[in-house]
Formats: sequence, C-alpha cells, structure tokens
Amino acid sequence: MSWKQYQNEIIVLAALFLLLFSYMYKHNEVTSRSEHVKTVQNSIEELEEVVALKKIWADKKISKKIESLQTLVPSNKVKWQKKSKKLTVNYTDLDANELNKLTTKILNLPVSITLFEVKKSGSNYNVELKCKW
Amino acid sequence: MKTTKELLIVYSSMPKVFLKESVNVMLTPQFYTLKKETLPVKYAYQAKKIAPSLFDGLLEERESYEYMVFKEKDQWVFLAYNLRYIENFLSSKGIERSMVSKIFFAQQVVDKFLAPLALGEKEALVVLDDSVVVVPRAALGEEESPTLKFDKTFSPQKGVSLQGELGSFLTKKQAYAFMGVFLLFAVLFVAEGLRYNGVKSADEKLQALYEAHPALQSSYTREEVLNKYRNIDTQERKKREGVKKLSNLIFKGVTLTHLTLTENTYKANFTSVSADVSKKLEALAKKESLKVSKVKKSHDLIIEGAI
Repeated sequence: MSWKQYQNEIIVLAALFLLLFSYMYKHNEVTSRSEHVKTVQNSIEELEEVVALKKIWADKKISKKIESLQTLVPSNKVKWQKKSKKLTVNYTDLDANELNKLTTKILNLPVSITLFEVKKSGSNYNVELKCKW
Repeated sequence: MKTTKELLIVYSSMPKVFLKESVNVMLTPQFYTLKKETLPVKYAYQAKKIAPSLFDGLLEERESYEYMVFKEKDQWVFLAYNLRYIENFLSSKGIERSMVSKIFFAQQVVDKFLAPLALGEKEALVVLDDSVVVVPRAALGEEESPTLKFDKTFSPQKGVSLQGELGSFLTKKQAYAFMGVFLLFAVLFVAEGLRYNGVKSADEKLQALYEAHPALQSSYTREEVLNKYRNIDTQERKKREGVKKLSNLIFKGVTLTHLTLTENTYKANFTSVSADVSKKLEALAKKESLKVSKVKKSHDLIIEGAI
C-alpha cells in the first residue's frame, strides 16, 4: 500500500488534527483563563472584604467618636475611665429618653462590647459599659 | 523541476514488465483522445471547463473521462483519458498503481519526437501535423527508420497522478473542501484562544487593589486579617441583634428592670403588670427563639439568649 494512494485522506486527516489541536488549545486557554479569573475574583472579593471590615473595625477616628458617649448626657451622670484602647463608663440616674439615646449610640459605634449592663433604680436607670477597639 | 524517475513508454502491444521501483509513464495516443481548438479563453482552467462538450460524441458515454488541457502555439490542446482503463491496462502489464508516480502524454512533448520512435516490432510513434500518432512500421519510408532514443529527458513538467485519484475515498476537490472548512475552524479556535489569553480587566483591578493596599498582597496575611475582623464583625453584630431583640419585647405594661450583655450572652428581667401581659411577653420571646424563665410569685420573666 502506498501512502500516495490515500493522499487526499491524509490531507483531510492532517487538517482535522490541526482542527483538534486548535480546539484543544482554545479549550485549555478558556479553562485556564476562567480558573485564573476565578482565583483573581476571589482575591479581589477577599481584599475588598478585608478593606471594608478594616474600615469599620479598625477606624482610626474611633477614639474621637467614643468621646461622644461622654457628652451625650450631663457630665454629673457620667463616670469616665478611658485607658489606651479600653473604656469603662458608668452612667447614673438616666431617664428613659437618655437611656434610649445612649443605647442607640453605643450600638452604632464600631467597638467590641465586653459588658453592657442596665439596672432600673426607681424610675431611672444606671448603666455600665465596658468596651474596647 | 527535473524528474529523477525513469520514464516508461506505454503502448498497447508492449510486453509485460517487472519493476523494482516506481516509474513515470508516458502514454501513446492509444490511451487518449486528442482535440485541438482555437478558443477565445486566456487560462487553462477556463478551457478545461468546456473540455467535456468538445468531446461530445467522440467518447464512450458509459465511461468516465478526465481531461488535460494545455496550450500549443495558438491552439488549446485537449486530451481526454479514462483513468480506470489506463490503470487496468498498466496492471495487465505488471505495472501496479503503486509503482506509477506520474502519467504523461506523448502529445505533451511533441517537439521532442524529431524522429520516429519504435513501439515494438510492428509500430512506431511519429509526428504528423503537430500531433503524435501511432503508425505501422511498415508505413515508414526507408529514410524514416525509428532511431529515436527514448529516456527520462522526455518527461514534461505537468503530469497526472494516478495514485491520488484512484483507490482514494475522497476526490481532490472534496479533500480540499474538507481541508478548507477544518482550517477555517482551526483558525477561529486559535483566534478565540488568543482572545481569552488577552483578557486582563480582572488582573488590572487586582493590581490596583494591591497597589492601594500593599500590606495585603500576601494571601496568608489577608486570610489572617480577614479571619480576625470577620470574627469581630460576626460577634458584635450578634450582640447588637440580641439587644435589639430584647428592646422589641418592651411594650405597654412591660418594664425592663435589668439587662446584661456580655461576650457570650445577653439577659434581661422584665416586669409585667398582669399575667396576660406576661403571657404575651413570653409568647413574643419564644417567637424570637429566646430562653424564658419565670420568677416565682410574680409576673416577672427572665429572658436570655446566646451569642
């Protein structure tokens, strides 16, 4: 048998192989690219989450924002003790409105609350707050 | 291009031959039909298109013929041949298809037949009116003895490939059509592959983020920082949700007397004005999936939840 006898088939086969190789090349590119894109997307999402979380929980202005807890109620009702990145504060004789305002403020501050205690004393309230940041 | 293969003259009364290697063959007019025409066409492919109509009535209708067209001075020369017949004849003389490299026609080299060429004992190949013909040797004159020496220098440039045409499942035309389609798709796939290789928008965004936050380039650092802040975020959100849940339980007739929120739990004492209010409060607390315990001899409830 001579190969020349089937040269037409050989031409078609060669072209078919080329087609298969190019398809495999494309397929590999698409697969590796989509895997790469997936990895990159994950990294981007991770990074963006870290940045967003840091913006909330590692806010450099938090020390300043904390000060508002001191001025929210009359100073004679506040016993303030701030040390480094820790705060212990006692409030006495707060009426319901003051308690509501204070609670809302505390809950909206990006600090880690270690203790929040509210005690009713007569018609008023005493509050103890311990937090860190 | 000069051929290096031996050239074998093929005529109907030739003896059987034994070949050791493939050869080119030159066919005498016994194997083709010749026609010359002056046509107003410029290219051979145009002339070839009208070749079948020129041989109308000259060839056997049942057989399939191929055509060769070339120009000779001002005329177009048309050769019609039957490949199947030629192959059968060659086979009967011991020349298998695989041993035939190219087929030529004597008319292609009409200028080289300067003298008669002997074809066995009885026939000779001569040129009459610019056409190569087979004549009986007896018809040759005394001074026309067949002295021409035939060798591979008679090989013309253009020939017919027997091997490619017969025994093949596909015709050349079909093969080229398939090849064209396959190559087109191959080019498209490669182009698409290259396009995917060039997609860079996500990379660029990541690069920009890295430049803005160089400390977070390492995935380990990132993971560490992320875990730290994720834990804080989850815990603190739960604490705030707990206080919110407890504050939602305050309604008319219910008073909060004590609330404690620590790292792991939140707990509140509620005083109700009546048993009905207390029941309502209990139902509400249970709806929020909170643990409820009653204080003996009162309508007070202790409601707590875990973080």
